[in-house]
Amino acid sequence: MNQDKIKPDAIIPQASLIKTLLFILPMMFLTFAILTKGKLPSDPKSLFAIVITYLFINAIFFMLLYTGKTDRFRAIFFITYAVLFVVSFITHLIEIRGSMAVSQANMLQGETPFCHIVIPMTLIPLAFTRTIIFPGTIIGSFASIASMFVLWIGVTLALGRGFCSWGCFFGGLDDGFSRILKRPVIKNINFNWTYLPYAVLIAVVLTAAISLSPTYCAWLCPYKTVTEFVEVTSFKILMQTIIFVSLFIGLVIVLPILTRRRIQCGLFCPFGAFQSFTNRINVFEVRIDKEKCVKCKRCIQVCPTFSLSEEVWEKGKTRISCTKCGKCIDSCPKKAIFFHLKGTPLSGNQRIYRILFLYPAFLFLATIAGGTIQDGIVKIIRLITTGSMFIH
Amino acid sequence: MLGEGKGVVQNCAVIVQFLFGRLFGYLIFGVIAWGINRSILQAVGYREFIIGLAYVVLSIFLICYAFFRVRTSCVVQKLTGIIGRVKNTIPLFLPLFLGFFTGLSFCPPFLLALTSAADKGGLAQSILFFFMFFLGTSVFFIPAPFVGLLRSFSVMSTIGKMAAGLVGIYYLYSGIIMLVVGIKRI
Amino acid sequence: MNKLKSILGYTWAFIAFFIVLATFFGNERFSKVLASVTGMKVSPWYTGGDVISVIDHGTYRTLIHRPVFDALIGEKREGFIQINWEPSTGIPQVIEEKIDYDKDRKEDLLIILDTSTGKATLTAYSPSIVSIERIYRLKNGWAVRIVLRKPS
Repeated sequence: MNQDKIKPDAIIPQASLIKTLLFILPMMFLTFAILTKGKLPSDPKSLFAIVITYLFINAIFFMLLYTGKTDRFRAIFFITYAVLFVVSFITHLIEIRGSMAVSQANMLQGETPFCHIVIPMTLIPLAFTRTIIFPGTIIGSFASIASMFVLWIGVTLALGRGFCSWGCFFGGLDDGFSRILKRPVIKNINFNWTYLPYAVLIAVVLTAAISLSPTYCAWLCPYKTVTEFVEVTSFKILMQTIIFVSLFIGLVIVLPILTRRRIQCGLFCPFGAFQSFTNRINVFEVRIDKEKCVKCKRCIQVCPTFSLSEEVWEKGKTRISCTKCGKCIDSCPKKAIFFHLKGTPLSGNQRIYRILFLYPAFLFLATIAGGTIQDGIVKIIRLITTGSMFIH
Repeated sequence: MLGEGKGVVQNCAVIVQFLFGRLFGYLIFGVIAWGINRSILQAVGYREFIIGLAYVVLSIFLICYAFFRVRTSCVVQKLTGIIGRVKNTIPLFLPLFLGFFTGLSFCPPFLLALTSAADKGGLAQSILFFFMFFLGTSVFFIPAPFVGLLRSFSVMSTIGKMAAGLVGIYYLYSGIIMLVVGIKRI
Repeated sequence: MNKLKSILGYTWAFIAFFIVLATFFGNERFSKVLASVTGMKVSPWYTGGDVISVIDHGTYRTLIHRPVFDALIGEKREGFIQINWEPSTGIPQVIEEKIDYDKDRKEDLLIILDTSTGKATLTAYSPSIVSIERIYRLKNGWAVRIVLRKPS
């Protein structure tokens, strides 16, 4: 096994400062427009939050381009987004509803924000009955059903399963916990577990179609622990609550810490399994240069979603479950792994391929996360200055 | 298919015939399930109790099927003589014939589907239920013309068993609830 | 052929950037188009179904929804009917109302709802009526769902 003398995770500038600044200029204009919506806020807390968010986003993009390291800086942004999403979402719910718990009356009145994970379960009932089996509103509300569908269609066309590392507001929690320890405690995971998300997908899609209710949301979704959940008013709901809290502790906290992998995302999430199929038709992919590869297996060890194996080496590409996070690319000592555009030559300019991927991916993340990060910062400032996150 | 070395298009034609025969077998069972509903379940008073009990028993079998190696009966194995005669006289229809009889395998998922369909009531619903069951169980044949039956079968078999276990747990819960309701009504 | 594939690859990658822009900047417009083209609605199992009858009592209105038995195809054996009470100027403390939901000019049920306690009693006149599923206190009034069963 050959080892590079320079550590693969060392930061070495990949482009000149001037070139990098030129490349990030369009992103700076776009993120300014997206965050301010053409108008700077007068409230000092909001203004401070916008400035911090703007600088944070563009600093991350600068480092992504300047250092050539994708995953390290993407993860900082992604994890920050997930944490502040929880802060922002929970405080928002408490402000409008008084509680994280959603009551049956809230559901009757369509006050439940729509989540992307429900989408696969809604498709069969939508095709047969033209109705959405979710207690939300079609248009005109926060996270309305139609707006989330549009978001999903757009990200699917642009990034495929890249959504899981460049958009999902839950994935950052899994990602964050997986980076706590320096070395994994559990190293060997039976490869058959990587098929579980597809089994969960089939099971929840079929049971949702039979029962006309989103069974994953009702019974399994661990992220209800940090967003919203049904008020416990019966034994059945109590059982559901115990299940999802246990899954959150196990799949989002404990196992990611012990394995240094995204266990919920890679071994359970049915939406991730669903999005994997869209990778087949997405233009962006991760490829392996078999001539440069020395089979040190570092990429297999670090891949958070188990998308690399000795079998896929032979093909020179990742499995369909690849979320394009860039961790394998950053970890490869021989720079044998790279972002690639389908149809283009493998020997083409890898820097161009990378930039062509990073622009839509980062823009998506910046747009979906920008407002949430701002809001999270405002809430934290409010907490520090007034002792409470809530508007009185 | 692998042995004959035919191209993708010809393999697709074989698979389509096979699936059509399988679908025909499943739809017949949809009608039978409706018949069970109209005859037995209407006459007997303790509907929830019977259906609930059937769900509980069959879902336990399904969970065992998912987690343990279980050999399911296949009607095709017992019809080798008839298959031979079909192969010699009307070889073109062999995949159709094989498809029809593989659809008659009395495995736990199939029996659970039969119970669920019998609970549905309407003929259209019963047939639709079996159509959906056909789609779900036929998914693993889709990659066969392209990557070979063996390789796709192994992956889809793993996924199928895991999914069977999860669906089994769902039906176990539904069955227990129906059983409790049924017992209360008695 | 390789050159064409290459051009298509680069083109698609460029377009991906604009797809992301359009997804966010055009979200409101695209949402409305998607909603109207698909005709999608929230399932009646959550909304209670369409309102088929409104009874005006002066200070409040009674809204009777259609019976919901919707299944993936056809209908389920068990469903419900939802009745809402919305204030115009105010809802009385006790609502006592006979409901004919199937418009056969025969009353199907009597519901007595005490809005101070949130409790209700149901008297069934039709064999399809089973029980009260749930009582809801809404922002604008009250609602009750009553379990229905289709006759065998």
